[in-house]
Amino acid sequence: MNARMELCFPLGSEMMTTVRLTTGGMCALAGLDLDTSEDCKVCVTESLLLLLHRGFREARVVFSEENGLRVAVKGEGERKEAQESAEDDISLALLGALAGEVAEEKREGVLVALSFRFESK
Amino acid sequence: MTESELFREYRETRDKALRNRIAEKYLYIAAVIAKKFVGRGVEYDDLYQVASLALVRGIDRFDERKGLQFSTFITPTITGEIKNYFRDRSRLVHLPRRVSELRALARRTAEEMLSESGKKPTASELAARLHVSEEELLHAEEAGSVVSLDAPVEGAESEMSYYDAIPAAEDMYERFETKEAVLAAVGELSETEREMVRLRFGQELSQAETAKRMGVSQMYISRMERKILEKLRKSLKEGSLE
Repeated sequence: MNARMELCFPLGSEMMTTVRLTTGGMCALAGLDLDTSEDCKVCVTESLLLLLHRGFREARVVFSEENGLRVAVKGEGERKEAQESAEDDISLALLGALAGEVAEEKREGVLVALSFRFESK
Repeated sequence: MTESELFREYRETRDKALRNRIAEKYLYIAAVIAKKFVGRGVEYDDLYQVASLALVRGIDRFDERKGLQFSTFITPTITGEIKNYFRDRSRLVHLPRRVSELRALARRTAEEMLSESGKKPTASELAARLHVSEEELLHAEEAGSVVSLDAPVEGAESEMSYYDAIPAAEDMYERFETKEAVLAAVGELSETEREMVRLRFGQELSQAETAKRMGVSQMYISRMERKILEKLRKSLKEGSLE
């Protein structure tokens, strides 16, 4: 079974527990170990933070089981005022350090989506 | 001074004061990354310390001529160190990383060789495939065998456990003498240094908490601690030679 799940939600701190729990569940389903699962949660949280700093107030996260887990995180809806942070570079570097195959999608120079994959060992 | 100028000067001079300035400037990166790993069973202070050490080591290795920003270079370094720390902590008995890696690799390779030829490889065949000596391979295999301290010592005539067989590290008289020597050495420190020793080693506070109580930076405490330990070491060494 190649499981797939989509979450669409308002980008707010109150949603983070739900997102992290869902991420953990999908990681378990994809056969990732606990450490990798924790890394995946960090990557999802950092991606959402990056989108929030670019003015998105809604996000969609798509999990697909592909020899591990592929996660796509997209900003949705209208963008409000962006507040890019000095820590964004660290977030991007952290994604690169934790996940394999990180891809960024930009529209008019603005980051609008990120995807990454974690392989099951 | 730009980031690139700062690192160029450090690369050319290796001036420790400059390295400390750079470390203080970028310590926030260690703090930011350490926070991301909170909640995995390790205190923030410990994570921050691991991250800070990685930062200082990273400063020595960073080459600004390669065109990378320091934050881009150091983030994977710090992340790697934190992950190594988690991995090392997860073992009851801490094995050196090389030994752990060789054990894991040997297990995987042995399975591969079994599926290739249909028979289990010998130690020498496995060592040859892994490009290590047979002795090194056997040492790595052996390192994983955890023995309970309550288990009986093999070959002992009575029912002696490994715990019984371990000699005491010191006797009470030695302990008393050591305490006296340490107290005398601490007495030679300045008032501020004694206060730091009291907080760090008496109350067992973290460097961050000690820094907060004394109204200084954690980096300052870290430097002071190194200096004090060096002083005490010297003082105790001289005392033991008298």
